[in-house]
Amino acid sequence: MPDWQELLRQRLTGLELDSAESAEVIEELAGHLEDQYQCLLQDGVSEKSAIYCVLENLADCRDLKFKIESSRKKERPMNSRVSQFWLPAFLTILLAMSFLMIVEALGFEPWVSAAWGGPQGTVPVAVVYLPWLITLPFIGALGAYLSGRAGARGWTVFSSVIFPTVPYLVFCVIGLPIAMILDGHIAHNIILPAFFVGFGVWVLLPALALLAGGMPVHYFSRRAVS
Amino acid sequence: MIASGIKRGTAELVVLSILQEGALHGYEIARRIEQETNGSLRFTLAALYPMLYRLEKQKWIRGSWETSVNGRRRRCYRLTPKGKQKIAPLRKEWSDLFAALHRLAGVSNA
Repeated sequence: MPDWQELLRQRLTGLELDSAESAEVIEELAGHLEDQYQCLLQDGVSEKSAIYCVLENLADCRDLKFKIESSRKKERPMNSRVSQFWLPAFLTILLAMSFLMIVEALGFEPWVSAAWGGPQGTVPVAVVYLPWLITLPFIGALGAYLSGRAGARGWTVFSSVIFPTVPYLVFCVIGLPIAMILDGHIAHNIILPAFFVGFGVWVLLPALALLAGGMPVHYFSRRAVS
Repeated sequence: MIASGIKRGTAELVVLSILQEGALHGYEIARRIEQETNGSLRFTLAALYPMLYRLEKQKWIRGSWETSVNGRRRRCYRLTPKGKQKIAPLRKEWSDLFAALHRLAGVSNA
């Protein structure tokens, strides 16, 4: 028979409660698992199946840990949507924007693709701040770590990691089409390829850079917990 | 099985109602709920204990360690006077909701 208390201690490592309270919670949860295990054995379930069945309770330890911490903490904890999504999302966007401003202020020259001619006039060029792109995986990793630590999973982590690309996405989806409609009335003669260039350089590329840092952190931290 | 979103809302009333019968420890609470609802309501570890802790913080229930005859320590929960007072208003809220659902969507057996 497994040592349920030891198993829970391992799975709930870093439970943010004081040590006495943490020990109490682990003892109580271990008692639950033990009772369930004994009941299953009494019902004629094999030992192996009973253990498997009981361990299903611990399939998502991160969620269990977060919920226990939230329910036991004295002060009112943050709403889970705030701690799992909004906080990491706003932190990543703040850092991404700040780094972009710093990169520009420090005078780093962007990489500018060669312009090419077209029948409709000015064709857009891609402007890429490589030093900024290099910082994005670290920002993505931080977002994934904070979101995951608060108990978020899958799409919530993904959304908080790529959140810095949202303003650019909005501009591409709303701003550029409006500019195209108003074509003759604005300073730049925006044409359809601008949408694709803008989307690729300011949305897709940063999103990939953010995910390059965020997804490994999310994957490995989930593996560490389970 | 009832979807978790609906279950979450009913959980407080379910637990308080079960504890009306007397003091119970966590596993027994989960087992009774499952038995008495023919398996429609099942509480996982992650759903049950955080809720028990929250109800305890609200002072609707009180947990205390008790040692059974075989020497095992278990935390038993019982209703507090405040918790007992909460049951009737919660029941009314739910029956009002079911009555409204019955009128609107034909949900019966409320």
